[in-house]
Amino acid sequence: MRKHTMGLLAMAAASTLVLSACGSAEVGGEPDGGGTATAGGDGGGDGITIGIKYDQPGLGLQDGAEYTGFDVDVARYVANELGYSEDQITFKETPSANREAMLQNGDVDMIFATYSITDDRKEVIDFAGPYFIAGQDLLVAADNTDITGPEDLEGKNLCSVTGSTSAEKIKTDYAEGVQLLERPGYAECVTALSAGQVDAVTTDDIILAGLAAANGDGNLKVVGAPFSEEQYGVGLPKDSDQCEAINEAITKMIDDGAWEEAVATNTEGADYTPNADLNPPKPADCA
Amino acid sequence: MDQSTPTTGQPAADETVDAPTSDRVLGAPLVELKHVNKHFGALHVLQDIDLTIHKGEVLVVIGPSGSGKSTLCRAINRLETIDDGSIAVDGKTLPEEGKALAQLRAEVGMVFQSFNLFAHKTVLDNVTLGPRKVRGMNKKDAEELARSLLDRVGVGNQAGKMPAQLSGGQQQRVAIARALAMQPKVMLFDEPTSALDPEMVNEVLDAMVALAEEGMTMIVVTHEMGFARKAAHRVVFMADGQIVEEAPPEEFFTAPKSDRARDFLSKILTH
Amino acid sequence: MNDYLSGLGALLEQYDVLGAFWTNIQLTFWGALFALVIGTMLALMRISPIASLRWAGATYVNVFRNTPLTIIMTFLVLAVWTQLQVSLAADFNSNFFRLAVIGLAVYHAAFVCESIRSGVNTVPLGQAEAARAIGLSFLPAAQLVILPQAFRGAIAPLGNTLIALLKNSTVAAAASVSWETASTMKTMLEFNADYRWEIFALFAIGYVILVIPIGLLTTWLSQRLAVKR
Repeated sequence: MRKHTMGLLAMAAASTLVLSACGSAEVGGEPDGGGTATAGGDGGGDGITIGIKYDQPGLGLQDGAEYTGFDVDVARYVANELGYSEDQITFKETPSANREAMLQNGDVDMIFATYSITDDRKEVIDFAGPYFIAGQDLLVAADNTDITGPEDLEGKNLCSVTGSTSAEKIKTDYAEGVQLLERPGYAECVTALSAGQVDAVTTDDIILAGLAAANGDGNLKVVGAPFSEEQYGVGLPKDSDQCEAINEAITKMIDDGAWEEAVATNTEGADYTPNADLNPPKPADCA
Repeated sequence: MDQSTPTTGQPAADETVDAPTSDRVLGAPLVELKHVNKHFGALHVLQDIDLTIHKGEVLVVIGPSGSGKSTLCRAINRLETIDDGSIAVDGKTLPEEGKALAQLRAEVGMVFQSFNLFAHKTVLDNVTLGPRKVRGMNKKDAEELARSLLDRVGVGNQAGKMPAQLSGGQQQRVAIARALAMQPKVMLFDEPTSALDPEMVNEVLDAMVALAEEGMTMIVVTHEMGFARKAAHRVVFMADGQIVEEAPPEEFFTAPKSDRARDFLSKILTH
Repeated sequence: MNDYLSGLGALLEQYDVLGAFWTNIQLTFWGALFALVIGTMLALMRISPIASLRWAGATYVNVFRNTPLTIIMTFLVLAVWTQLQVSLAADFNSNFFRLAVIGLAVYHAAFVCESIRSGVNTVPLGQAEAARAIGLSFLPAAQLVILPQAFRGAIAPLGNTLIALLKNSTVAAAASVSWETASTMKTMLEFNADYRWEIFALFAIGYVILVIPIGLLTTWLSQRLAVKR
């Protein structure tokens, strides 16, 4: 017992040392740095933590301390409607593979992260929305004329993000002879496309539009023939009571023109309009 | 390339002696050290050494530990580099690293204090390795040679064993056979019996005496005065990196001229 | 319960988990083979009498041992393949597999080199002196006397490097080898989050099954092949 106490004391002493070392280093660099530490945390109790993507230009992108993109704009609007002011919102990165787990564990209160509503996912979590209906599409070089749809990818080289099924789908449904490059992020796919090592990048059209807007300098274009329907919903923990309120907020955003404006500003320069037959969507009934 | 060319036309074998005598006829110079100097840091371990060993001569180097005698021995096949001066074997100055040095080393047999048999090879393979890989001898001839040499040093029945299975005395005799397999012009012995249990010393010394009697040129660093008396033509006494005295063994052991040698001999003879 | 089992069964039918492990085994095999060759050459350089070779070997080891494998893989795909347009095969899958093997090999060669060097340190200096004394020059002495003993002394650290290589073969995902275990697991997790514990367990157990025999084998070998002195 005594041994344990001593061990704990030693650990406490060591961590104090480490902490004080850090502290003094910071003081050296930025004299009043200590005061800002609590501002960004979610210690406020009444705040809301929203999961977004950090690496998708046009949808959810961390740019220094700023967060931009369509998902982020919708998230802010909805959070405001739910009664949270701007400084009560904390954004947190929710990578695709972790989204359900982070909702279930309470790491985030809701997720706006190109989160397609599927029956499988509905078994573990709830969805509000959809707030956007995307479709799988292709990003190609602006001067490319021989790729007008997924069937044209036979024998061509295609890039998609690791762990996404969009490339597999093209392979099984449209062009068996397509060669696949998988990268951890879309930015690397765009690099490979710009370098000419792949002919196309595939994922949801609005993501592609964001990429084209952010990276292309007008050299890249979205083909504009979506061949799937992805309903972006708001991920919520199972049996959440916020679904109705969120749907109301989404409807309001669409009605007052903020939705359309958000789409336009986030895909500026990409010559992109969302699939008009399906957009803007009407939120589905809550379960 | 032409390392076999001797500096003199006369074969030395005829001139070797059966028993050590101080007034024997010496063969041509085989190993020549001129003004050899070496430092280990601040320590001047070889100080302006001049020494010539003739064909067929058996030279014993004796001296207190730290006198530089081992370094001298190892310098002759360049396991130790020297700072200046020159060492020539059979008329050829020791080359720097490389193929030429390797060729010269093949002509100089070396027996170490700690045997240094190749631990992962059998006794037979230890002896055949040099002839096969350096001399390009075929396997059959090399094994024949190896077996005859192992027989000669009395360990022919151990050929298939690993070194670790042998006693120290047996290992050292294998090491002698390994060196002889290269048909060297001169054999260096660096304290060959110092690491042996006392009861094994004689079996190694006997092999060395037999070798001396066959006329092999030998440079032996040892404290074994029995061997020196029986087989050596000349004793060189070293202290503090210098050759203090050299004389025929009888003369050196009975009437050393220098105080250092007298002092040293009194220390090793008192018990 | 039946639903649970059939769900799990469907999952295994949908994803080729065994194939994924087979991919990692192949990556490990080729990676280890080339790493052994490169690592042995590096070790020779590091113990050679030529100073510039020693320097080059040491520099290689310090660079590659201290660079994260992910960065090497990404470099190979983004810089070597994308920008320099160096292709190792017309077929994408073979190309990325080979790039990944190169990444694994050049990275682990640094560790192989250091393992062999630690093995060389178990060989007494007298062995090298004896080899030189019978007229063997550096390379034959290394090949016939030093390395055979050094490898036996290096079996344990080489085994550890092999285990690390097997586990690090999952980093091939960074070279677009998306059909290997880590990528397969990530995809399975993304679309079947309700089975996440089972999926984790499946892959963890798979690696344990692969790694334990390597450990046992190297322990057995290093005892059996130990050089008796």
